[in-house]
Amino acid sequence: MEEESQASERTATDLVRYALACHASGKPIRRENLKTHVLGNTPTRNTRPLLDRANTLLTQNFGLKMVALPSHEKILTNKAPTATAATKWVLQSTLPDAARQRLELAQTEDQQAILGFATTVLSLVFVSNMSVPVDQLVLYVRKLGPPQCIATAADTRETAEYASDAQMESAAREAIGYLLRQGYLDKVKLGASGGGEHGAETQATQASQLPTDGGDRHDEGMMYTWGPKARIEFQPLDMARFIATATGQECSDEFVKTIGRAYGSNITASQ
Amino acid sequence: MPMAMDDTEQQMLVQWCMAAQVFTESEFRQVIQRTYNTEEEEMEEIQPVVEQINSSMGAFSLELRSCMDQTTGTRRWALVNTNADAISTGATPYSASELVTLKTLVVGVFTEKMGNYSLSLHDALRIATKRNGTVAGTLTRAETESLIRKFCSDGWLATDSDDGYVVLGDRSIIELQSFFNVGFADYIRLCSLCKEMATLGIVCMECMEAVHPYCANRLMSASAGQLSCPACNKHIPQLNKFGPGERGVPHALESVAGSVRGESVAASVRGESVGVEEPATQSIKRLCIEDSSDEE
Repeated sequence: MEEESQASERTATDLVRYALACHASGKPIRRENLKTHVLGNTPTRNTRPLLDRANTLLTQNFGLKMVALPSHEKILTNKAPTATAATKWVLQSTLPDAARQRLELAQTEDQQAILGFATTVLSLVFVSNMSVPVDQLVLYVRKLGPPQCIATAADTRETAEYASDAQMESAAREAIGYLLRQGYLDKVKLGASGGGEHGAETQATQASQLPTDGGDRHDEGMMYTWGPKARIEFQPLDMARFIATATGQECSDEFVKTIGRAYGSNITASQ
Repeated sequence: MPMAMDDTEQQMLVQWCMAAQVFTESEFRQVIQRTYNTEEEEMEEIQPVVEQINSSMGAFSLELRSCMDQTTGTRRWALVNTNADAISTGATPYSASELVTLKTLVVGVFTEKMGNYSLSLHDALRIATKRNGTVAGTLTRAETESLIRKFCSDGWLATDSDDGYVVLGDRSIIELQSFFNVGFADYIRLCSLCKEMATLGIVCMECMEAVHPYCANRLMSASAGQLSCPACNKHIPQLNKFGPGERGVPHALESVAGSVRGESVAASVRGESVGVEEPATQSIKRLCIEDSSDEE
């Protein structure tokens, strides 16, 4: 029994190590990879207690916990993810806000640029009833100017200052693709987004007024909404505060109500 | 003497170390101070804090380690993984081919035959793009340049101030000590004053001991500008320098013509068959993932 208990503790510790390695790499913790690298032939009935023990170790030693990423279907149907159904997790801090603010966690310039860019793009989606047509978002991102560190193609990185129209379009799509891969954005079919029905119709009207030349055919009827990572990392009230700061306004109750109307739902302090 | 940290304070520090990756001792002192939330600007004694963190991090194969900047003496710290097994390497941010390229470059820099622990940018690009028989396909020159920049950004490699040479980054020096000790012990130089690894400095040709530039300056300050070897006390002319752009001082094993060990290590880097597997090759393989199934 003691050997079994020690073996379980070792597995839970290995689970913590793997979760931290994924966190350091910016990758979600996937269930299938947990099986491959950590759990091996561990019976399925033992998985839940091991995950719980790993979460306890993470919280006690690192101030972190594993949070399930909602699947795409759960986002569209607004259902909360259940623990047993989760296939992907990310690590989230459990430190109190006051402690986190005191820390001033160091970020590289690139990380700050990417975070700022992601937050701004998500705020644009947020105030558009949580869905923006593909071409519209590309236009927004072109005006915004994506950070250089996201561009992988040498021509889009090196020639931003003198970029042609095609290069700017390519850079914008590449940046949006980056946010899609990171899980900040999701691409959904019109009418299936998290926004209300009315919101979807409004977006459809706007979409019909967009120039259609240059856009991909398979993007017709497709919208961008928040992805699983955005829903974990950003809360509606935080987004309202960001918009207030970015636009130089006071984040009053009235302002939050106005943002809530654009979001499509009331924003409360508990969110 | 600081009080022992409570759980929240330790969690704060560990999270900060994980986010900062490589940080100076001064930055570390400041964040410890912020964690304790006292009015002093910097914490004076950090060793008890380091020991407390390491005592709980050891179970997770993590350790706070440091190295000294060899020119300025600034100490740098990092929370590093001490066990490069399948669990920690299973979530590497690099693809299989990127890992092979990183290994090739790190080993290439460390075993550079003139003992300069550096490669010209041209040589770095050349050896990294050369076909490696264990991995299908090669990287283009442009892809390799981009990769080298990424490795520098992640701290594994660095370029000197003129960008003419590729050298080991702080992260490699701090985190890969075991890797170098196991596979490349014959290429390790330790400073005879501070006993830390030296990848640039001056060699005493009498006893072949090395001294960091920073440590050499300390010695000269204490002895009216004269530099004597801390090991054998002979005067060291500052001609026998090693480092990026220097003439270099070859390692002892490179000086023996046809050295079996040296040649077998060099052959393993080139991906050639070496007969009996050298410890170097085994530790290289531990660093690499050749199963691309984890790529996303």
